[in-house]
Amino acid sequence: MATYKLELKLNGEKLSAQVLAHENLLSVMRNKLGAKEVKNGCNKGDCGACAVLLDGKAVNACLTLALQANGKEVTTVKGIGTEDQPHPLQESFVRHGAIQCGFCTPGMIVSSKALLDTIPNPDRRQIREGISGNLCRCTGYNKIVEAIEDAALKRKS
Amino acid sequence: MEQRVFSTIGKVTRRKEGIARVTGKEVFSSDVTLPGMLFARVLRSPYPHAKVLSVDTEEAEKMGAICVTPDEVPQIRYNERQVSIPSKTYRDRTVLPEVVRHVGEGVVGVAARTEALAEEAVRRVKVEWERLPAVFDPFEAMKEGAPAVHEDVMLGDVRLPIKNNIACVREVSEGDIEEGFSIADFIVEEEFRTGRAYHTQLETKAVVCRPEPDGGITVWPTAQSIHNTRQLLGRIFDIPLSKVNVVRVPIGGAFGSSIQMNTAVAVCAALALKAKRPVKLCLTREEDMYDHCKYPSIIRLKYGIKKDGTITAGEMQTVVDIGAHNIQAYPLLGCMAGWFVSLYRMPHMHFHGTAVYTNKAPACAMQGYGNPQVSFAVESMMDILAEKVGMDPVDLRLKNYVGLGETFWGQGPTVRSIIRSCGVEEMLSKGKEKIGWDKRGKPEEKRGRYRRGIGVGRSFHTSGTGAPMPGEVIDYSTAMVKVNEDGSVDYLTALMCHGGGTLEAGAKIVAEVMGVPLDKVGISPSDTRSTGYDVCTHATRGVYCGGAAIKKAAESAKKILLEFASRLLEVNPDALQIRPDEELGQGVIFLEGAKDKAITVGEVAKTAQLKGWGTAIAVESHRQVNCPPCFVTNFIEVEVDTETGNVRPTRAVAAVDAGTVINPDLAAGQLEGGLCRGIGLALLEDTDYDRDTGELTCGASLVDYKTYTAVDMPFVDDLEAFFANTYEPSGPFGAKGVGEAANNCTAGTVANAVYNAIGIRFKEAPITPEKVLKALKENGAAKRRAERND
Repeated sequence: MATYKLELKLNGEKLSAQVLAHENLLSVMRNKLGAKEVKNGCNKGDCGACAVLLDGKAVNACLTLALQANGKEVTTVKGIGTEDQPHPLQESFVRHGAIQCGFCTPGMIVSSKALLDTIPNPDRRQIREGISGNLCRCTGYNKIVEAIEDAALKRKS
Repeated sequence: MEQRVFSTIGKVTRRKEGIARVTGKEVFSSDVTLPGMLFARVLRSPYPHAKVLSVDTEEAEKMGAICVTPDEVPQIRYNERQVSIPSKTYRDRTVLPEVVRHVGEGVVGVAARTEALAEEAVRRVKVEWERLPAVFDPFEAMKEGAPAVHEDVMLGDVRLPIKNNIACVREVSEGDIEEGFSIADFIVEEEFRTGRAYHTQLETKAVVCRPEPDGGITVWPTAQSIHNTRQLLGRIFDIPLSKVNVVRVPIGGAFGSSIQMNTAVAVCAALALKAKRPVKLCLTREEDMYDHCKYPSIIRLKYGIKKDGTITAGEMQTVVDIGAHNIQAYPLLGCMAGWFVSLYRMPHMHFHGTAVYTNKAPACAMQGYGNPQVSFAVESMMDILAEKVGMDPVDLRLKNYVGLGETFWGQGPTVRSIIRSCGVEEMLSKGKEKIGWDKRGKPEEKRGRYRRGIGVGRSFHTSGTGAPMPGEVIDYSTAMVKVNEDGSVDYLTALMCHGGGTLEAGAKIVAEVMGVPLDKVGISPSDTRSTGYDVCTHATRGVYCGGAAIKKAAESAKKILLEFASRLLEVNPDALQIRPDEELGQGVIFLEGAKDKAITVGEVAKTAQLKGWGTAIAVESHRQVNCPPCFVTNFIEVEVDTETGNVRPTRAVAAVDAGTVINPDLAAGQLEGGLCRGIGLALLEDTDYDRDTGELTCGASLVDYKTYTAVDMPFVDDLEAFFANTYEPSGPFGAKGVGEAANNCTAGTVANAVYNAIGIRFKEAPITPEKVLKALKENGAAKRRAERND
C-alpha cells in the first residue's frame, strides 16, 4: 500500500513518519512517533483518552487522520508541562486528588488546557462541558472539576 | 495502647504517582514496548455457541504471521480466578476452546510485526464452524432440553457433569425459617433485579509477554494479582514458577475485572512461547466489552417483621445469570448470603442461590461482589417494611442493623468475625441532619412536573477476607521493608493500586512506623520473582490486609535499626524512639529527655553498613484474622421529571466508616467515585443481548452502552462526603477498607429517593426513563380507576 510522508511538530520537536492514507493520528502517535502518553481507550471517539492539541485545538487523535496533522503542531500532555516545570493544571490535578488510575488523565489535561486557552475563567458548568468528551470511571469528575477551577484561579492571580 | 496521634497517617500529602500520571510518564501494560516485539490479534467467534470443526492458518502463516490454534495450546481446564481454595474452584476454561460459548470468545491467536498486519492475518485464517443452539435467559437455560452451555466442568480435580446449565447452587440456613415467619406480624415478599453492567475501566485488557532463553516467560499484564497470574501460567504451560516472572504494572482501572487472569494473558503467552519473541496483545474496546461484565441479579426477598419493627426472619432466593464461564459464582453466592445476613439481624434466615450458564459474556466481580445487588433489594425492602409498620426508615434501620459485637460475614459463610468498630449510628444521624431528612415530605404531598425526593440507604463492604479460621478463600500478604544508608526507606509488596491510593497508604504506614518523612519512603517496583505471595488486591483488602503486612515488616526492620542504634548510643533499644525531622529531612532516633542521645536514621544505617553489622531489612507474611465491615451510608435527593421519566440525582451525602483514614483526600475520592458508579447502576447501566445473534445490543460501543460524562454526572457540584469517627482495633493504625463499600448502597438509596418523590416503587435497576414513564402512566390509570370506584 502507498505510504505518504507525514511531517509535524510534536511538542515542539520536528518529526516525520511514513504513514498510510487511512491511518489515524492515534496509531501514528503511539506506534510510529513513540508518543505513548496518548492513550487508546476505544479508538472510535467515545472516551477522549487520546485527546491531543492540533494547532492548539483539542481533537481526538483516533478521529483524526494522521495526514490531517501534516505541517501542523501536535501537543500532548508531555508538551503541556514536565515534572520540572508542571503546568498549573498538572500541579492542580495532583494536589486535588483528581487522578486515580491515571489512564484518562493525559486526555483530560489536554482538554482542560484547551478549555482554559479559550475560556480563562470558566464557571463550573463550562468546565463540565469542556471535559464532557473525556470519560473518567474512577473519580465521578468532582475532583477533576475542582482541580481545573483551582488552576484557572491560580493562573489568574 | 494503640497509637492514635500520627505524624503521617491521616495527612493530606502529595501523591507519589501523581507527577508521572499528569505528565504522561506512567507506563501501562499497553505502553510496554520491547525490542523485536510482535503484535497480536485474536480471531473471535461471531456466534454465541458453536463448535470449531477446523482451523486453517496457512494463508496467514504465508504472510509471516505466527498462529496458535486450539489444538496447539494445552487443553488444561482452568479457572482464571485463583482466590478460592482448589476444592472450591470450578474450572471450565481453556486457553483457546474447541467449543465457543459466547460471541467474542477467542479461538485463534495471531501475531505479526504490526497490529495492522496481525489484523490482516486474522482475516486470512479460515475457521469452519458448526453452529449450536444458544440460550440467553437463565430460566430458559434451566429448563429440560435447553442447549447445554457446558457438558461438564472440573471442580478441583474432579469431573462434574452440568445439568440444566446450573453452574452451582448454594444454600445457607440459620435458625428455623418457618418459626421465624410464624412469629411475625407481617410478611412481605418482593422480587428485585439489577442489570448486567460493564466495568468500563478506561484501559482495555492488555498484556506483553517475553519468552526467556531459559524456557521461562516474563509478563506485563493488566492484573490485580501478579502472583495468581504467575501460578496459573506456570500450571497451564508447565513452567516452573521460578521461571515465570509477572511484573506489576499500573492498571488503568479495574473495578474487579482483573481479579482473574484476563483471557488475553494466556493467548499472548502461548503466542510468545511459540514465536520465541515478545508479543503484545491489547484488546479493542469491543473485545473488552465481550470479555467481562457485572453479575446481574434476580432476587426474591421475603421478610417477617413484628409491629414494633423487629425483623423475625428473612429469606433470599437468587438466580444469577453468570454467562458462558463460571469465574467465581460459588464464592459470589456465598458472599450474597453473607451480605444479606450481615445487613440486618435475623434470628431465622434462609438463603438459596443458583448460578446459571448462558451464552453471554462471562460475568465477574465488579465493585461490591454481589453487594450492590443484595443491598439494592434489602435497602428497598427496608423502606417497604418501614412503611408497613409505620416507622421512619432511619429508625427501622437503627433498630435492626448488625453492629458492634455481632458477627459479620466478610466473604460468605466460612469467613466470619466479630465487629469491633462501628460508625452506623453516627453516619445515619449526621447524614439525616446534613441532607434535611425531616423536611423531605411525603410523595402524596408533592405536585408539579419536577418532584424531588430523598432516600436513605446503608451497606458496607468487608475489609479483606481474613478470619480466625482458614475458610474457602485465601488471604494473606507479604511485604519487605529496608532502610537505606541515607535514611530513606524502601518498601516492596505485590499489592496493586487500582487508582485509589493503596500503595500511597502503604508508604504512609511505613513512614509512620519508621518515624521518617513520607518523601523518604520509596515504593519499590514489584514482580513475582522479588516479592512474597499476596493473594490479590480485591475485596477491599489493600490497606487493611496488605497494609497490616507492611506495618509488620516495618516494625521488624525498625527493631533491627534500633538495635544498631543502641550500640552507637549505648542505650537499651527498647528505650529508643524515632521521629521525623523535617529540617534534617529524615528520621531521628532519640532517647526522650537526653539531648546527647540522638542520631539520624541514615547515620545508623550507614555506620551499620561500614562496620559490617548488616542492613535493617525485614520480610513478613501476614494474615489478618478479622474481616471488619467498612460501613457506608448514603442520603440522596433525586428530582423526577414526570413528563420525561428522567431521574436526576441532585444532592448527596455519602458517609463511610473506614476506621482511621490514611489518605483523607484519596479516600474521599474513592467514596465519590464509588457513589457515581452506583448511580450508573441505579439509573443507567445494563447490557442486553440480541436473542438471535447473541450480540450486545449496544454494539459494544461506549457511547451506546451509556455512562455519565462530566456534564451528566449528578452531584458534581453538590456532594458531601464525610468519614465516621471510628478506630478499628485490628487494623493498621485503626484503618479498615473503603474501596467497594462506596457504591454498595447507592442503587437502593436512589430507588428509595424515587419512591419518596413520586410514590412508585421500582424493583428493577436501572430505573430508566422508559420504566419511570410506564409506571407513572400505569399509576395514573390506577389512581383514576380508584377515584371512579370511590
